[in-house]
Amino acid sequence: MMWQTSKHANIRSRIGFFSSFSWANLALLFAVLLSVLSVSPVALGNSTLKETISELEASQQWQQTLKEARGQTVYFYAWGGSKPVNDYLRWAAREIASRYKVRLRHVKVADISEAVSRLKAEDGSKSAIDLLWVNGENFSYLKAQKLLLGKLPSAIPNTTLLATEQLSLHNDFGVPMEGYEVPWGVGQFNLIANQSLFSAKNPEQNSITPADILSAAERNPGRISYPRPPEFHGTTFLKQLLVALTDSDPRLFALATPNAQQQLLPALWHYLDKLHPIIWQNGSAFPSSNTEQLALFTQQQLDLAVSFNPNQMAKEQSEKRIASNAQRLFFDGGAITNSHNLAIPKGAQSPAGAKVVIHFLLSELAQKHKVDGSWGDPAVIRPLLDPASTLPAQQELHSSWQQVIEDTWQQKYGA
Amino acid sequence: MNNRLLAKSQLSPSNQLYSAINLGLKSTAWVLVAIIALAPLLGVVIGLWPAVELDWAAISRFLGYNGLAYSVASTLLLSLVAPLIALYIAFMVYSRYRFNRRWQSLEKRLAPLLSLPHLAVALGLVYLFSSGGMLWSVLWGFIGQTAPEWLGLPRKSMLTMILAISIKEVPFFLLIFSAIGRQLAIKQWLLQGRALGYSENASWWLIVFPVVLKQSRLAVLAAMAYTLSVLDISLLIGPNIPELYAVVLYNWQTGFTPDEQTFAFLGNLLLIAMLGVLIACIYIHERLVTKQLANHAVMANPLNITWLSGVFTAWLGFFSLLTLAILATFLLWSLGWNTHSTFNTANWSISLWQDEWFFMQGPLLNSLHIAFFSSLLGVGVTLLALELQRHNKRYFPDYLWLLAILLPQLSMVYGWQIVHTSSNASYHSSWIILSHVPFTFAYSYLVLRGPFQSLNRHYELVAASFGYSPWQRWWKVRFMLLRPALLSAIAIAFSVSIAQYIPTLMIGAGRVATITTEAVAIASGNEQSITAVYILVQAALPFIAFLVASILAQRTRGSVDAEHQ
Repeated sequence: MMWQTSKHANIRSRIGFFSSFSWANLALLFAVLLSVLSVSPVALGNSTLKETISELEASQQWQQTLKEARGQTVYFYAWGGSKPVNDYLRWAAREIASRYKVRLRHVKVADISEAVSRLKAEDGSKSAIDLLWVNGENFSYLKAQKLLLGKLPSAIPNTTLLATEQLSLHNDFGVPMEGYEVPWGVGQFNLIANQSLFSAKNPEQNSITPADILSAAERNPGRISYPRPPEFHGTTFLKQLLVALTDSDPRLFALATPNAQQQLLPALWHYLDKLHPIIWQNGSAFPSSNTEQLALFTQQQLDLAVSFNPNQMAKEQSEKRIASNAQRLFFDGGAITNSHNLAIPKGAQSPAGAKVVIHFLLSELAQKHKVDGSWGDPAVIRPLLDPASTLPAQQELHSSWQQVIEDTWQQKYGA
Repeated sequence: MNNRLLAKSQLSPSNQLYSAINLGLKSTAWVLVAIIALAPLLGVVIGLWPAVELDWAAISRFLGYNGLAYSVASTLLLSLVAPLIALYIAFMVYSRYRFNRRWQSLEKRLAPLLSLPHLAVALGLVYLFSSGGMLWSVLWGFIGQTAPEWLGLPRKSMLTMILAISIKEVPFFLLIFSAIGRQLAIKQWLLQGRALGYSENASWWLIVFPVVLKQSRLAVLAAMAYTLSVLDISLLIGPNIPELYAVVLYNWQTGFTPDEQTFAFLGNLLLIAMLGVLIACIYIHERLVTKQLANHAVMANPLNITWLSGVFTAWLGFFSLLTLAILATFLLWSLGWNTHSTFNTANWSISLWQDEWFFMQGPLLNSLHIAFFSSLLGVGVTLLALELQRHNKRYFPDYLWLLAILLPQLSMVYGWQIVHTSSNASYHSSWIILSHVPFTFAYSYLVLRGPFQSLNRHYELVAASFGYSPWQRWWKVRFMLLRPALLSAIAIAFSVSIAQYIPTLMIGAGRVATITTEAVAIASGNEQSITAVYILVQAALPFIAFLVASILAQRTRGSVDAEHQ
């Protein structure tokens, strides 16, 4: 009983917090609407954008957020398995401390589901998490359980910079974001291959088809593999194959009806039946993750790696971890593109600080450092959009297909 | 008899007050011990409480999960075979080294051999011995050929997994044997064996092994429970068509669809059932072996296993070499070496160490102070539990005390987390220390129970006859006799605390980063150079603990050491 009453009290105080600032909220919304309506987003020049941002930054609501954030510590739960990402966050922590007097603490986790499980245990009450790096099914669960703080875009000035239309950043694996998370970076599914693997291909050409992969596997038995589904790089690899093998059948982008499954999926299984006997360990074992596959690739056990970071190959090459003549490839129809995002739990103790951190991470400075530094994760804001380095995008499949593909894969090849 | 009367008569003056205080103290102590020992059970009950409705359809979907039977069977096989192989090897090594000059060097080197984390052994093994791995490439490089594929260790397979675990557990069993052995009159037994006409080798197996087997039951159980639920090395080198059970369960537990939640609940129950099967197997194995050996002894059949023992005279050399090779590999990685560089072209640099060292100091200090307090507390509560049981003249079944090792950790700590967050507690490191105590307690109980029960009471009677009070007797006699075993227990408890990832992260909410929370997160990215840095630092902490313990242990003597050497 005790904790229940305290939970209610907590919620009431939160409601109070919002209602007292609702007028400021409205003003901010109005300003955003004005800027969006008056100038079309594409034509919006950098200078006008900057003006809008500085207007928003001057708004009373944002000033209030800055004031509250001062001195707060923001516990940012994020996957800690990548040195470039960790280094980037260390840099960001220094910048944020000196600019906003907010302390950013990166809580490194091996899997973000650990944060989700904590939020589940806390059940919406006071949370130890102020900010988390999330996407896909974890986001979908948190949103459905109403554990996330909403209306983020209207509360954070720099979200105006987001290239929402150009990069189609409305959905996260088919689930509408609706202000419960804010895009931080973009992932585009690509393959990293040793030059010898697709030798028959024209080196200028950088897209491949399932048939290319099959014939490369025939020429190089045991040198190809993919992460074992349901690891999401592995599932994405299967999705890309499915799209290519069915000529982008429109039914893939709608609810996976039994009929559509029956007609579309056999092409994929037929293909895998041919592929598996000639891949790494004859398909009797798969890498557990994309990072493990990359490690096997750098140890020259495999000729193919997969990545969601289109700049990963260049970064690995500059660190001399992979050969300088490796190729980056994507599927003919385009690379499946999605975003990885930032969200604030409803029970966060330093929501103002977390908003300030998001604001900084979306700034031109931070986004530029992210793409240019050792991480190389593409920017999501309009001033830094670089069509030349962006791969042609392939629309994400309807989210219902994911479970179907994973379950059937497990049924067919999992044992 | 006289001595005992004498001791009693000394208590009589203040008898009533003494017993009243005693009763109060005792019941407080029982409550404390019970809280620590039963905390895992509480955690599992809260953590596992089904959040979803169970129905037959869900259960049948669970049972119909493709590959479940195969996963369960192969995981059971692995958890049974790998620790037993390690146990046998360790016993053979022990029998070859114990009464020999080699024993000293083994005891000295046990520390570094024990402190290499499982993940490091697994990574190192496949890196060195897989086809295309470093060792074969170098060896075959000399004759200008590439190593044949079949020679290498598969990157992911049951065989690799069994090898890695059985290799890694041998030093653990040696440490256990060394603690047990100090309390047994092995030398006399061997003499008696010789008098009966058995060779020394046969005496080891016929006389010593059954006793050691019985006393290391808990250690075998701990190793099996670990193998059953270990995640990181299962992901890395375990077979994954089908996956090992721990991986399957982890996928359910971290998925949040209703189906996955139901499967996670049922899966945890299945895990506990699998553990029950393993416990039964331990007893069956023990019985079979004892019977078999008794047959051999009666029929005077030659023991086939004795010739094999000879091979393990070389174990220390081989294992030291392996450890060195693994350490060297990690050191080279951490300095920028990779498969694409030769010695001349590598980007040698210590910048990674310099970069990370700045950020490691905080986590290092946290690790040290948490491990220090939680290991002392764990060992203290263990002594208390043993004393209380001795007073009651009744020992509870072992598995009651080892719940922290036996029950599924993720659900257990999840339960604690629910209690912790709903009581609005802070995230101070003292909570983390508390959350480690059930684990350090269980492991030190595992190490101490055998030595404690086989303590020779004779010395205490003698001390009583000299007029020592009960407290003096305890401190000056029993504690001193137990000291070598206590040191091993503290060292093991210390390294157990160092290795905790889930409780540290979940109870500390990331406020208190330790070297292990950093290392596990880093290792999840499979970047070999930075992983190497953190694994080396992480291995250094238990190394220091084992080293200190072994240095101190060499200066003290156990109860039987005093008698039989």
